[in-house]
Amino acid sequence: MMARIVSAVYAALIYGFIFLPVAVLVLFSFQGTLFPIPPFNGPSLRWYGAVLSDQRLTDGLVNSLLVAFITSALATIMGFLSAWALARFWLPASAMIRGIITLPLTVSYLIIGMGLLVMFNLAGLPRSLFAAGIGHIVINLPLCFAIIYSQMGAHQANIERAARDLGAGELRVLTLVTAPMLWPALFASFFLAFTFSWDEFIISFLLTRFDTTLPVEIWNMLRAGLNPKTNAAGSLVFGVSIVLAIVFEIVAFRKRVA
Amino acid sequence: MSFKAILRRAAAASVLMLAMAGVSPAQELNALVWCDHSDPNLLKPFEEANGVKVNVKEFEGTGAGLAIVEQSQPGDWDVMVIDSIDVRRGVERGLFEPLAEDQLPVADLFPEVTMDAFTKADGKRYGITEKFGYNTIGFNKAKADPADMQTLASLTGDKYKGRIAIYDYYLPVIGMAAMAIGKKTAELTEADLPAIKETLLKMKANAKAVTDVVASQTALATGEADVLVGGGEWVTAGIAKENPDLDFSIPKEGAVLWSQSLAMFKDSKNKDLAFKFIQYVMSPEGQARLATSACYWGMPANTKAALNEEQKAILRFAEQPEFLKRAQGYPAPDEALDKKMQDMWTEVLQAQ
Amino acid sequence: MTGLPKNSTGWFCVTPALLFTLLFFVLPFLGMAVLSLFPKGGEGFGFENYAQFFGNPSYWRALVNSLEVTAIVTAVSILLAYPFAWILANVVPERWQRLALMLAVLPFWTSYVVRSYSWLLVLAENGVINQMLMGSGMLSAPVQLANSRAATVIGFVHFFVMLLTLTIYANLKQLPPNYRKAAADLGAGPVSAFIHIILPLTLPGIMVGAFLTFVLAIGDYITPQILGGNNELLLPQLIMMQIGRRGDFSSASALSVILMAVVTIAYLASARWLKIERT
Repeated sequence: MMARIVSAVYAALIYGFIFLPVAVLVLFSFQGTLFPIPPFNGPSLRWYGAVLSDQRLTDGLVNSLLVAFITSALATIMGFLSAWALARFWLPASAMIRGIITLPLTVSYLIIGMGLLVMFNLAGLPRSLFAAGIGHIVINLPLCFAIIYSQMGAHQANIERAARDLGAGELRVLTLVTAPMLWPALFASFFLAFTFSWDEFIISFLLTRFDTTLPVEIWNMLRAGLNPKTNAAGSLVFGVSIVLAIVFEIVAFRKRVA
Repeated sequence: MSFKAILRRAAAASVLMLAMAGVSPAQELNALVWCDHSDPNLLKPFEEANGVKVNVKEFEGTGAGLAIVEQSQPGDWDVMVIDSIDVRRGVERGLFEPLAEDQLPVADLFPEVTMDAFTKADGKRYGITEKFGYNTIGFNKAKADPADMQTLASLTGDKYKGRIAIYDYYLPVIGMAAMAIGKKTAELTEADLPAIKETLLKMKANAKAVTDVVASQTALATGEADVLVGGGEWVTAGIAKENPDLDFSIPKEGAVLWSQSLAMFKDSKNKDLAFKFIQYVMSPEGQARLATSACYWGMPANTKAALNEEQKAILRFAEQPEFLKRAQGYPAPDEALDKKMQDMWTEVLQAQ
Repeated sequence: MTGLPKNSTGWFCVTPALLFTLLFFVLPFLGMAVLSLFPKGGEGFGFENYAQFFGNPSYWRALVNSLEVTAIVTAVSILLAYPFAWILANVVPERWQRLALMLAVLPFWTSYVVRSYSWLLVLAENGVINQMLMGSGMLSAPVQLANSRAATVIGFVHFFVMLLTLTIYANLKQLPPNYRKAAADLGAGPVSAFIHIILPLTLPGIMVGAFLTFVLAIGDYITPQILGGNNELLLPQLIMMQIGRRGDFSSASALSVILMAVVTIAYLASARWLKIERT
């Protein structure tokens, strides 16, 4: 019994620690006055109005969603193809290829962003959302590869072989047999990649110019004056993310039932 | 934003993803600015009146700004905000286009801030001062004694230990440290650095934090610090309404005058629009909006700025002639000395 | 695995990912390494950037600070996360575990930039913690929490407790429950069973989490920049200063190469725990 009480107290403390800044963030997004610190004067929707009427923020939100969607899709597709190739075909130096593809996983984002910045500078390419998108694929491709590769089992290989014996070409095997079987892994990798891209700051900060992503716009806003608008923007991001997570749960759960 | 607009952006973004090159319609103005120019209250009226879009990229410090220009293609940028004392650095690199002085309200500016020695070259005007203010002592009247704030010596003494924050920009704070030991900011050489560093280290030992623009505001507003070294109207004015105790002083040793100018790029593809933008910012309405920008407030360079009485009181408009007499300019190091100053600043930050 | 097919399809499928990684990861890194050897304002090739790093205490101090902060963060996060993961895996009823994990992850769906800023407000002298402690009479004057190394560590630990909880929990769940029973049958007490059986078996989960913590924390700019109050500089802050203040890409590249070297050493040290395996 004692152990259960100690456990409950400990878990409550950790949950408290984890939730503290977020609770404060959301609470003071409803602050009526200029400073997001106690005492609380609210509730007021003033700062939500300010966020939603700030075009740089709404543009940043759309940019972030687009970049996250496009780059995670590309990273998942490339990760899937390479995982399939390495799991199912004989390739020379396959261990080395696997090593190269997963290499960016072990490197800080700052280094990836700096490297791309230096290279694009040397090549005379301007900073843009596109450049940041490339950076996001670099960080997510190894992740997608690792997730999908880890799920490529032998029983799937047998089914693929059966399909081939029945006369299906490689493309049909890949799209009609392998991809559907690996659907949970594909979805998980897309979703994780989306999450990382959605919240990534330093690469976008280094590589974009005018059009940029939401985290960078929030950073700009933070530097442009202290007020609860930042809290409101953060709370909205929180809301959007939770909706995405619920969608993920529903899709993944439905799949498991089916 | 409507669904259609989102679709349009989606289409545009995918084209961008495929084409690798940015698309840039004719009527866009690319401005390399400080954060006060990003305020929609300033940009919107100009965008709507001219049917154009102003793209802004923020930077801090002339070195970083010039580095951005160097890495860009000619014609990427139309206008730039730059420290008045650094306009010449741009001119020397052949970046700027002379401005038509007769079409700008030069005569209406505070004479002390036009800084012709720096903003003009060969009799031509390359930069026009748009906004100025002081890096001095910002403080909370309720917690710090205003009498103590009349001398820079309070910053290195023991009384305010742990109650101080320092603005994280090396030039003005080095300027203040120089004044504290009786040196002129315009005459600094490498030989002065050891004594300045000693003063800076004393300030650092008293300081709780070394903070950027917003963190400085946050520090004063949240009570993290009662005194801000390098602060001034630019940090206290914007939040004075919420907390009337926040104020600034010009100590007896003087204060550092900051002054920002607008310049136009020689390679700009939109010179007419760029000049219109400069004219707009220098107009009484533009000046009032710039002076009260969300990022930071500051004195408008134009004496005819359309500020209301309350705003003028917050900026202490009437006291300016007296302040300007005691102010000295930013230190203006050459590149070698600049690097030494930055390294010194890094050492001060790292000092425990 | 006998006789994998040997044809062009494999090459065709692996090429996009391989080429992409070579072009946008390996090549940029090499470019950075080369650029770091051509100092800004210097005369061509030279090692000035590296000489500056090792010769100037305020530069290498940034690396030492980074290593110290990262080590503290990793250790504290493991110590906090392990019991929590244990409770989630063994005390919480099976059908609630998923929900409990979801709850632990939930706060991290806020923007990471905003989360750090929120900690600043929580820890400030007028912030929630100081106000609560003073309101309850536990403190008579506010204590400095924000703008310090402690604040940076708290900001980091917040995120990594969650991350480590996930990796350790996953590891704990893979252990067959009868291991502990077997140990008990052989006369081992709970403490002895934990030290000799459970802990070694969960080491992989700890190491994976610790490595991720190390890599992510040592390369992070936002947390120390927002919470540390510039009372000391960490390596990423020094790197960003080279770009933001001076536009010196060469020096920033050299510092990035050094950061990369540190991360590589950490990787090699923990490599045997980090294998990517197929089921």
